[in-house]
Amino acid sequence: MINKTFIIIISICLIQLFSDNSFTVEPEEVLENQKQELRARNISKNIRCMICQNQSIDESNAPLAKDLRILIRNKIKEGKKDKEIYNFLTDRYGDFILLKPPLKSSTLALWLLPFIFLIIGFFIVFHLNKKSEKI
Amino acid sequence: MRKQLLIAPTILFVFILLTLFYLLIIERNPSEVPSNLLNKKVPKFETESLLKNERFVSSQEFGNEIILVNFFATWCKPCRDEHIYIKRFSSEKKIRVIGINYKDNSSNAIDWLKNLGNPYSNVPIDKSGRIAIDWGVYGIPETFLINSKGIIKYRHVGQITKKTYKKINLLIKEIE
Repeated sequence: MINKTFIIIISICLIQLFSDNSFTVEPEEVLENQKQELRARNISKNIRCMICQNQSIDESNAPLAKDLRILIRNKIKEGKKDKEIYNFLTDRYGDFILLKPPLKSSTLALWLLPFIFLIIGFFIVFHLNKKSEKI
Repeated sequence: MRKQLLIAPTILFVFILLTLFYLLIIERNPSEVPSNLLNKKVPKFETESLLKNERFVSSQEFGNEIILVNFFATWCKPCRDEHIYIKRFSSEKKIRVIGINYKDNSSNAIDWLKNLGNPYSNVPIDKSGRIAIDWGVYGIPETFLINSKGIIKYRHVGQITKKTYKKINLLIKEIE
């Protein structure tokens, strides 16, 4: 009995792990050209929903997220490159709309501080270890 | 010297705690994102006007005087609540206010303005929400302060309260 329950729990966990998150793109939004649709989905996954803020527009049900998904698809149909689409969005909403902040002089601390803290941490651990060896 | 060095992480930790505590007690809205359009020209757009027969052309409207741009809709409760302050801007402070009607039903909007009073000198219609995207709008009501050169000087996300009303008035005096 316990084994059965255990298997069910593990299965549910694995389903969560392998499922491609939520999928909110509505059927009428999907582009006929599969390559273009894939590009649109990849861009949407990197764009933050400004209303929910911790979701991408690909996952969000917010009306603005839908508007932006359609806008991205229209831009792709117009023949715009990915970079042009990202620039279009950051010009209006700033870098905050990108889920991954770009590496810029203003975000340098954000990218480098974790590594600096890690090195300091290693140094302290190494230092304490050496001290305890002496004792 | 080595002992002193070991105090560093504690000091750092206390510093981080104090910073977080400071951010907690100051009045701020963590979900409010600063506008990327600050100190830039107003986006160009052309659309129908709710109350006038002629089309609204942004290049003809901005750049002559200080203007307040207010994104509103009849379905938005905070828009109704802030309307009293929007009216005060136009009646008491004699500031020109343009109200962009966002994703709304036009006849509802006309009735709404009849009932609550119309502080707007013009009401361009943004049926699809596309104009709002060009302004970087993500949650109405949003209000922008434009100087006499057509440059965006301030953006407020959310309802205008007594405090923001005062703040915008101070900013108007500053840019006059």
